[in-house]
Amino acid sequence: SPAPGLPVMSMQETLTTASTSPQAAGQPPSSGSKFTKSFSATWKSRGPNKGPNVRLMRRIIAEDAEWSLAIVPLLTDLCIRHIVKNFRNNPILKQLLPEHQQKVLRQLPPDLPLAVTANLIDDENYWHRCCEQRWPVCHLDCHGGSWKRLFFERHLENLIKHFIPDSTDPAVILDLLPLCRNYVRRIRVDQFLPPVQLRPPPHNGDQSDSGSEGETEEPSMDHYRLGELVAGLSQLEELDLVYGIKDCGMNFEWNLFLFTYRDCQSLAATIKACHTLKVFRLTRSKVDDNKARILIRSLLDHPALEKLDLSHNCIGDRGARAAAKLLSHSRLRVLNLANNQVRAPGAQSLAHALAHNTNLLSLNLRLNCIEDEGGQALAHALQTNKCLTTLHLGGNELSEPTATLLSQVLSVNTTLTKINLSCNHIGPDGGKQLLEGMSDNKTLLEFDLRLSDVAQESEYLIGQALCANREEARQRALNPSHFSAPLTAKGPENPVG
Amino acid sequence: MNPPVPLGILEDKEEEHLATQVLGPSINSDNPQERIQARRLRIAARLEARRRNWLYGTELVTNIQVATDIREIHRRVEEEELKRQRLEKLENEVKTSQDKFDDITAKWEEGIHKKIPQELWELLNSQQVHCAGLIEDKNKLISELQQELKIKDDQYVKDLKKQSEDICVLLERMEEQVKTVMRTFRQELNHIEKAFEVERQELLSSNKKKWERALQAHNAKELEYLMNRLKKVEDYEKQLSKQRIWDFEEYNMIKIKLEQDVQILEQQLQQMKATYQLNQEKLEYNFQVLKKRDEESTMIKSQQKRKMNRLHDVLNNMRSKYAKQIKQFQEENQSLTSDYKRLVIQFKELQKAMRHFVIIDEEKFRDFWVMNEEEAKGLISRAFDVDRIIHTQHLGLPWTAPDFWFLKNVGPLFQQQQKSATQILEEVLMQTEEEGSEADQELESYLDLPKQVSASTTRKILMLLCDESGFLIESKLLSLLQPLEKSECYLLRLDAIFSALGVESEDDLYKLVNFFLKYRAQHLSSQEGEMMPALEPVPKGEEEEEKKEKEEEEEEEEDEESLEEEEAGSLVEEEAASTSPRLIHPNDVLKILEAFVKGLKKPRDARAPVKLQKATRDNSKDSDYWKALATVIPRSRQNLWDGLYAALEKYHLVLMRRAELLLECNTLEQQNTELQQLLQKYLGSKINSELQVPPTQVLPISTKSN
Repeated sequence: SPAPGLPVMSMQETLTTASTSPQAAGQPPSSGSKFTKSFSATWKSRGPNKGPNVRLMRRIIAEDAEWSLAIVPLLTDLCIRHIVKNFRNNPILKQLLPEHQQKVLRQLPPDLPLAVTANLIDDENYWHRCCEQRWPVCHLDCHGGSWKRLFFERHLENLIKHFIPDSTDPAVILDLLPLCRNYVRRIRVDQFLPPVQLRPPPHNGDQSDSGSEGETEEPSMDHYRLGELVAGLSQLEELDLVYGIKDCGMNFEWNLFLFTYRDCQSLAATIKACHTLKVFRLTRSKVDDNKARILIRSLLDHPALEKLDLSHNCIGDRGARAAAKLLSHSRLRVLNLANNQVRAPGAQSLAHALAHNTNLLSLNLRLNCIEDEGGQALAHALQTNKCLTTLHLGGNELSEPTATLLSQVLSVNTTLTKINLSCNHIGPDGGKQLLEGMSDNKTLLEFDLRLSDVAQESEYLIGQALCANREEARQRALNPSHFSAPLTAKGPENPVG
Repeated sequence: MNPPVPLGILEDKEEEHLATQVLGPSINSDNPQERIQARRLRIAARLEARRRNWLYGTELVTNIQVATDIREIHRRVEEEELKRQRLEKLENEVKTSQDKFDDITAKWEEGIHKKIPQELWELLNSQQVHCAGLIEDKNKLISELQQELKIKDDQYVKDLKKQSEDICVLLERMEEQVKTVMRTFRQELNHIEKAFEVERQELLSSNKKKWERALQAHNAKELEYLMNRLKKVEDYEKQLSKQRIWDFEEYNMIKIKLEQDVQILEQQLQQMKATYQLNQEKLEYNFQVLKKRDEESTMIKSQQKRKMNRLHDVLNNMRSKYAKQIKQFQEENQSLTSDYKRLVIQFKELQKAMRHFVIIDEEKFRDFWVMNEEEAKGLISRAFDVDRIIHTQHLGLPWTAPDFWFLKNVGPLFQQQQKSATQILEEVLMQTEEEGSEADQELESYLDLPKQVSASTTRKILMLLCDESGFLIESKLLSLLQPLEKSECYLLRLDAIFSALGVESEDDLYKLVNFFLKYRAQHLSSQEGEMMPALEPVPKGEEEEEKKEKEEEEEEEEDEESLEEEEAGSLVEEEAASTSPRLIHPNDVLKILEAFVKGLKKPRDARAPVKLQKATRDNSKDSDYWKALATVIPRSRQNLWDGLYAALEKYHLVLMRRAELLLECNTLEQQNTELQQLLQKYLGSKINSELQVPPTQVLPISTKSN
């Protein structure tokens, strides 16, 4: 091909005129890359024999025989290296050009003090390295897809988890506050250490078998107070707390799992002051009626709260009544009271609130004991409610009367998509009635009736109806023109399967 | 925990179904539509299978939770039952133990009353046994409960184990689930990739075929074009050679022609060159001339410039001088104006002083006059006294005091000042208003009016004038007059009318009134007589009359009584004519006014100097006055006095002589008496006695001798 050869030829000519060495002329270069290689080769070979053009040679030839132009680092590289080296004392980043910033960030060590990096570096890759260095497993999805957020949230959670009241300096956490205030949106703490009680170990051991003794020392059992921290976090949206201890093993004591009255009050004040809070979870913390009422009262008319989870506590009917009041005084969308001690009166008050509620999307009353009385009240409420989509009533000692009312609801309601009635005593007759109700429903997508004494046949038929509904919903969601052909083909396929 | 039984069956069916599905529209069929359809069906089937797998997987996973839930519920129920039983048991225990305790305490009561030690010992023993039984019961209960607790602990451990197992199962299932899902996804991906690959291959092969076909067609066409081109090239070559020959010939011809043209043009060029030479010389000459002129003009220009500069200098000088002069004049002007102002002030002061002096002079003059007059009058009265004495005492004639006007005059003589028309008006109106009540006074006080005209007449005429000639008054004034009283209103209106007509002085007013009266008279006498000719002589006559009136006025003061009489007479005359103004028709007023104004013009011009003269005092009468004063005693009487004087002198002389004689006589008598006294004295003196002869003796002898 003569086209690429032309410039090469001219180059070669200049070379031949410049030097008398026959080697360069002797090599006929076919391509540009080869030519550069030969070029450097000629330089190296020409090192010792200084030709007539001394001045030309002197520019290139170094004293070091190993030296070559490729080895010399650029000034910018040197600068960047220096910046990286002294980043701890003199962080220069924003003043650099974008490409150089990238280079610096790539070379920064992940163990720089947070005070330097927190508000300066936004680069995700850097924080990714930081996270990977500290934790082997990182769930990025749980932290809004931001490595920086993940780092700060987990860092903060770690500090809180290992905070021992009265012995750890509170400044450890509060010092971090100005650094992380803009990045932390969620605090998820599944352990709060109590104040150290090991000082009188024999004394403690004696009284270990009497649970009531611990309560006398209640003032000393207060946990870390979140108030100051939460007030400082301007972006906080989610609080997920468990007042308990993990991995206690055989050192189990009832004392360790104590959510004290004072803890409760400080927490209530904290969540009341936090206007950005959207999700509040307080699980497995032995929250009783009074504490639940204190907490819920502080949440009344909260401007942002959408999700409240008080599952795995010991909330009774009064707590449920407070929650019902909260339903009508907030914009709550999800309420979880699973595994509590809510009975029929509590369920009735909840149902009363639910009847005219327009915000709540999901209600979970799993593992309570609302029984038929409460179940019927809820079913009545669902006849007027136009908002609720998910209802979990698993393990509530429900039986046939509730099923009959629910079947009526199913034929009327068009918003419910998920119902869970597992672990109840609905019985075969109740199952049949539910099947009747299902035959008129086109919106329900999930209906869990496992272990509820329903006849297998009716359960299967309900499953078929759900399949049809699901198919319809999928069809509605997708663009129908694309999949019209296969869907029609699948129509006869379903009954066969 | 009961895993769904139909799951496995369903999965099997699914497989079968998939297999049958593949057999439907074949992928290998020739029809691409069918192939696509088949592939789509396959994908849909796979999707369905995946979904179902996923669903069952989740169910499998959640089954554990559900199972735990139900277990928990059962546990709770049992727990509750147990709790209830335990509580019951405890309550029963409490009851029985309480009973026992009561028994024991009751027996203690009994024990207090026991006196015999043996009975007491028995009782104590039985009590001890009872207490031991009670404690044993309690201990049994405690041990039972502890047993239960231990069982619970074991249960807890078991539960923990069970939970860990459950968690393990859960994890396993989840892993399985994840694996299956991953597998299905991967399969699906593989399927999709394969399908794509196949489709791509097909597409490639078909495109390749198409490409080859197109290439062949292209080659054939290329060949054809080549042949055509060769043929055309030959044709063009032939044409070119032909053209070349033809062109060559033409070229030659044109060349010859052009050469000829060139020769002609060269000739013309020569000619042109010659003319050019000529023109050049001419132009050079012209150029020289123009250069000369230019030089001259530059010379002139420079001269002019110099001149201009000089003139500019002059102009500047002049300007500066002019400015200087303006300044000077301004200064001068200022000084002069200040001088002028000063002078004006001085003049005003002077005038003021003059006025002052005039007044003072007048006063002095008056004082002097009065003084002299008094002196003269004193002298005159003395003269009169003397005259009266002479007449009465010396001549024995009756004496009458002479009576002259000037004797009564006190102060300098004055001329009557003329009043202005408005003053007169005011008087007239005021008087006429009072007329009704005091008619008598009016006769006396109203002295200034001419004889012919009465006050009421005047008033009526004026009212008429006022009513008729409203047009002479300014409209502004009229509006201002509205709120005023009637008389004041008339006064002001008349004032305005007079100022418009030019009536200024008293005389003018009377003239006007007279004019009216005359007009009326004329009108009555000659009813159809023309106005203008009749009017002309009137003012002249008026003037003469007026002059007479003036004189009369001056005389009025001198002889009031006679005037009064005269006025009374004239008034009587006028009373008859006083009704006459009614006969003046309002329409005629304008005509009369017109005539009056025309007539008034002449006398006014003549009058102007007279007024000026009146400013100085008329002293012509003074000498007469003083002369008259001097000649109070007539010449005849003086002569009488002279004669009397001479006679009296003679008489005086006689009397003088008599007086002298009387005096002589007196002296002689006196001497006589003196001598007698002396004699007496001598006679009566002592010496006499001493003497031989006293003189006294002598004296009587002497006296006897006398």
